[in-house]
Amino acid sequence: MIDTLLFLLVDGITNGAVYGLVALSLIVIYTVTRVVNIAQGEYVTLGALSFASALSGYFSPFSWLVAGGLAAFAVLDVADRRLSNSARIRMLLIRSIWIAGVLATAFAANKFPGSYWFAVLAALAATASLGALTYRLTVEPVSGASPIVLLIVSVGVYMVFHGAAVLIWGAEPQSVPPVVDGGVSLGPVFITYQSLWICCFAVLAMAGLYTFSERTLIGQALQATAVNRVGAQLCGIPVRVAGQLSFSIGAGFSALSGLLLAPLITANYDMGFPIGLKGFVAAALGGIVEYPTALVGVALVGLTESFSAFQISAFRDVIVFLMVIPILLWRNAVRPPEAHEH
Amino acid sequence: MTKTVTRDRIATSLCGFISAGAIALASVQPGFAEDKPELRIAAIVSVTGAASALGAPERNAVELFDKTWSTRTDLPFKVKVISYDDGSDPTKAVSLTRKAIEEDKAHVVVCCTTTPSSMAILDTVKAAKITMISMASNAAIVEPASERPFTFKTPTSDKLMLQRTLNYMKRQGIKKIGFFGLEDAYGEGGLKELQPVAKEVGIDLAGTERFARQDTNFTPQALRLKQAGLDAVYIHAIPPSADLAHEALKRVGFTGPIYHGAGSSINAFVDIGKANVEGAIVGVGALNVYDQIAKDNPLRPVLAKFAELYDAAYGKGKVDLFAGQSWDAMLLTVNAYQHMAEAKSDDLAATRIAIKNAMEQTREWPGVNGVYNITPTDHLGLDKRSTFLSQIKGGRFVLIEE
Repeated sequence: MIDTLLFLLVDGITNGAVYGLVALSLIVIYTVTRVVNIAQGEYVTLGALSFASALSGYFSPFSWLVAGGLAAFAVLDVADRRLSNSARIRMLLIRSIWIAGVLATAFAANKFPGSYWFAVLAALAATASLGALTYRLTVEPVSGASPIVLLIVSVGVYMVFHGAAVLIWGAEPQSVPPVVDGGVSLGPVFITYQSLWICCFAVLAMAGLYTFSERTLIGQALQATAVNRVGAQLCGIPVRVAGQLSFSIGAGFSALSGLLLAPLITANYDMGFPIGLKGFVAAALGGIVEYPTALVGVALVGLTESFSAFQISAFRDVIVFLMVIPILLWRNAVRPPEAHEH
Repeated sequence: MTKTVTRDRIATSLCGFISAGAIALASVQPGFAEDKPELRIAAIVSVTGAASALGAPERNAVELFDKTWSTRTDLPFKVKVISYDDGSDPTKAVSLTRKAIEEDKAHVVVCCTTTPSSMAILDTVKAAKITMISMASNAAIVEPASERPFTFKTPTSDKLMLQRTLNYMKRQGIKKIGFFGLEDAYGEGGLKELQPVAKEVGIDLAGTERFARQDTNFTPQALRLKQAGLDAVYIHAIPPSADLAHEALKRVGFTGPIYHGAGSSINAFVDIGKANVEGAIVGVGALNVYDQIAKDNPLRPVLAKFAELYDAAYGKGKVDLFAGQSWDAMLLTVNAYQHMAEAKSDDLAATRIAIKNAMEQTREWPGVNGVYNITPTDHLGLDKRSTFLSQIKGGRFVLIEE
């Protein structure tokens, strides 16, 4: 009995860590831009698939697409008449380095097929940049629109990404080798190294995000934008850049969860959506604004899923998604909606 | 002002482009009239979606058929293949079927890859009186034939496969098994077939657990099965979830043999599972083991020919069972069309019915899946000659001699 419990606990936590990364990206994006990002799960997919192709040494057109998109927007931005020449040069420089970064990681992964870290870098660089591009293309033109408009926009983005993933990588699932094969037996429980790896990475990434937003100026600027958009703008924080940055971070985090998860369940174009939804359930516990509460939510979702799959496997998803209702009731009771409207 | 002018210009040039394109496209169509009648087959395959691992080889075989048959000039008729992707979505399958019937004026609909899609289009084809050939495994698609007069299918049924598998288990001394399957119509169908077969053979079905195709974790269910004290587990799923379920069972320390249904009899099963699925016992069709079956088996030449054609087009060793499902469906159609009793008229409705009647006259026809003997009461037409058992050894399906 006790080893069953341990098994379920370990699995619940591993899955929780994956959902946790997605939940955090949802929160980063929502707080800064007010987008409830339905497409979040697609970054998980794109991260996993671009990782799988980078690892096999195949130079996917995905990196080209992202680099091309970045270049197009760089041209548009630089052409802005209101800019001074020095600002233009600085902008051009930043954009070129950015594009070079995306392509360089992709080329490195292509040059050294099978090298884990290059593949991770290539996948993260491309997907995170795609996040910024998505913001630039879909959210910026309608910035200031009501949350429901932004939500619908993200549904559109979801459909485009979903289709694009099939187009680029095809529909067959791709198996991805784990970082280190095998695992360790803790008493009766066999834990794959990949599970440990996922937990480690998730904790590191979360700690990194925390340090970034508490200790750096840019992080604090993001926080300021999250607390009060207009106020931040008045203080000279470029809200556009903040939005792009939050989308990049969100996309990068989700891509990370995808490429960590891929060795356990294969990378396929269909994998992201349910993960995105479960991340959403977890984030809902914190009202999609509070990080610590969301982490509790993540543990709750992971464990509920694991234990309900053991007890009544036919209903496990129903139970997980039904959790939204008590969560929302609880949030409304504890903190009425007016209290956290800014 | 300038803006409107530019916009107008863009609009004009766009219109120009589109009409030029339309003219170019139209002129590609053959301009001369053909005397030969045309056999139009609509193939609706799940190239994308959850069943894409099965749909991809099926689509390949459809393309192969299209390439080899629609260019033939020695036939008294022409073959036209119309190919669609239902995205593993039953709703889409229904609308594509309607499109094939009404707009494309197809004579036969080859649909669908999955059981849910096949079940969804039953009423549509029955109302249109058009032959439908399914590539999905569940027997409920064609049974009872009196209620589904226009529905046929090519894959061997779960029932035949389960009878062979469970009889083999019994001979191995297995008394208590567990079912571990998908929670959709495919998995439920497998379970529904398993229950009576288990009773008939005398094996105790002591545990049933489900999972979904998109699940990220299969361990809890596997734990439950392990604790039920089973002699063997039967997995009824398709890759990749069939692989993941298998791995989960091993991870929790289940040491008994693990059996798989025909959903796993596909190269992707080994490609994804690699060393983890070594030793799995998989119910397969003749095509998986075509080079290992007895020399005098009537299927052998048909199989070898198809495997050669397929491998030449898509790479050596690529042929697998699901490519055979659509291939057989296409060839059965051609066979029925050739043996149609009535004169080939331009009457679409009459031809559709004539094809259906000819389908029911198929006798001892060797296909890739087995020898077909289709009758008005048996719309599957396969017998136990269509099922084989194999074990994964060294990344290959190795025939188990019984």
